[in-house]
Amino acid sequence: MNNRLRFPEYTFGKRLISMFRVDFRRMFKSPLFYILIACALLIPVVMNVMMSMMDGSVSVDPQTGVETIIHGPENVWQSIGTLPTAQGAAMGGMDVMSMCNINMMFMLVAVFVCLFICADFRSGYAKNLFTVRARKGEYVVSKTLAGFICGAFMLAFYFIGAIIGGAVSGLSFEMLGFTAVNLVLCMIAKLFLMLVFVAIFVLVSVIAKQKSWLAICGSLGGGMLLFMMVSMITPLNSGLMNVFLCIAGGVLFSLCLGVFSRLVLNKTRLV
Amino acid sequence: MNAVEIKNLSKSFGSKQAVRGLDMTVPMGAIYGFIGENGSGKSTTEKMICGLIPKSSGSIRLYGKDNTDANVRAKLGVLIESPGCFPELSVWDNMMLQAENLSLPDAKKQVISILKTVRMEGAASNKYKNCSLGMKQRVGIAMALLGNPYLLVLDEPLNGLDADGMRIMREVFTDIVKDGNRSIIVSSHLLGELQKVATHYGIIRHGRMIREMTAQELDASCRTYTALQAKDMSRAKLLLNSKYSRVEVDEAGYIRVYDPVPPEAVVTYLYENGVIVTEIMTEKIGLEEYYIDLMKGGN
Repeated sequence: MNNRLRFPEYTFGKRLISMFRVDFRRMFKSPLFYILIACALLIPVVMNVMMSMMDGSVSVDPQTGVETIIHGPENVWQSIGTLPTAQGAAMGGMDVMSMCNINMMFMLVAVFVCLFICADFRSGYAKNLFTVRARKGEYVVSKTLAGFICGAFMLAFYFIGAIIGGAVSGLSFEMLGFTAVNLVLCMIAKLFLMLVFVAIFVLVSVIAKQKSWLAICGSLGGGMLLFMMVSMITPLNSGLMNVFLCIAGGVLFSLCLGVFSRLVLNKTRLV
Repeated sequence: MNAVEIKNLSKSFGSKQAVRGLDMTVPMGAIYGFIGENGSGKSTTEKMICGLIPKSSGSIRLYGKDNTDANVRAKLGVLIESPGCFPELSVWDNMMLQAENLSLPDAKKQVISILKTVRMEGAASNKYKNCSLGMKQRVGIAMALLGNPYLLVLDEPLNGLDADGMRIMREVFTDIVKDGNRSIIVSSHLLGELQKVATHYGIIRHGRMIREMTAQELDASCRTYTALQAKDMSRAKLLLNSKYSRVEVDEAGYIRVYDPVPPEAVVTYLYENGVIVTEIMTEKIGLEEYYIDLMKGGN
């Protein structure tokens, strides 16, 4: 009788692909994804336009009467990164623009990863998912990749937004101290560095499970520890070494933290 | 080979022991009614079968293989506590997600077919969050049925279903197991409904399996009782109480005499004491009464 029962023998690759399909279908159906992409596009436009409008204006401290001149952005690429060299000191200082640039996306992607993973547990879909998936590795890999893709989209849209905002506010597109190749390498380095952050957010989210508030707080806290590193590792004049470092870091972090995430899923209750 | 074989299964949550040395056997082709009070450990056992919570000790074998075997697990269908659907997605999208999860080659075709089976084809475009309780339950069952699972684990699948829904589910369950290979574990508090389809039963109490039996064994161990109505019901009950050991009045207002006595003896006794019997019948106790009796009797 039991001879008629044939159990499918799926390979890891096939199971991984089906997990990707689940996650990408969900990601592209999720309003959250589009909201975050829209934010990534609009933030640099609004920031460039507003900061340019405020350029040169004087703010007076009502208590002391001290006058402060507000400096707006001088260059479109300030929204993308900073330069560590003396030549680019004006662009590389720790002012508002250098803190609130494309690197913000490393923290904003935490919102996506945490809500995306916690929704699996909150909705109860994790039951359907893990009942037919005895191995948790594919879940971790797929979620890391989905977060990475979302992060890549956010970086790309922020870049586009920065250019639109710069054009609208009449900022200079001149590249001082770096070339277009450096700029491309800088973006590639940021892209791979995203893996480090996503791996942290995935780990925190699988620990928090349905508690999305805990996942977001934990992820922002954990991400904050590495946040200052982003501008150092991915300056505007990035070279191949920066890209290599980011790839190595991304792969290493996602593998190590992925193992931890898998362990958490194996050892804790999933519902 | 059995579909499910559980030996000495235990699970503790901190100091609380939810399942204690549970043994359970679900034969192939069985519809296994898994019965117990709230908090008796049914859901915990089902979750352990599906690998959703790690066991503290014991073994769970599905079709002769450990329940951590990825290939065996790929042929499980589950509905535990609530259908795991994303509220903001449509019924169709939720079904397609599960179809992707199961790597179904002909996903659309299967989803359409199963939605038809549970009579949800007209509501496929509805957002899940806008569905009624009964519709949500049907979607949950449909998701569990996707991919023709060999073992279905259903926790309270009949909750929220209307009479037609329950009839459809009975037909679906019977249809699934008719090839003798597929099995279903159903836990439900609707014992009357469960009795209509179950071929095997497992009764759990305080995390321990206190009885496992087939439907035939249940039938054999269910006693008959005499139910009657009389012109003077209160006097009849008083008289019967004084003569027989167990007399109860049921929800429909009939006096039930559970002692093994022929109905004519009851009628004669009441007649001799001036009470006229207007209606009398003999019936067998059902699963519900059997279960209540068993629970009253302790372990």
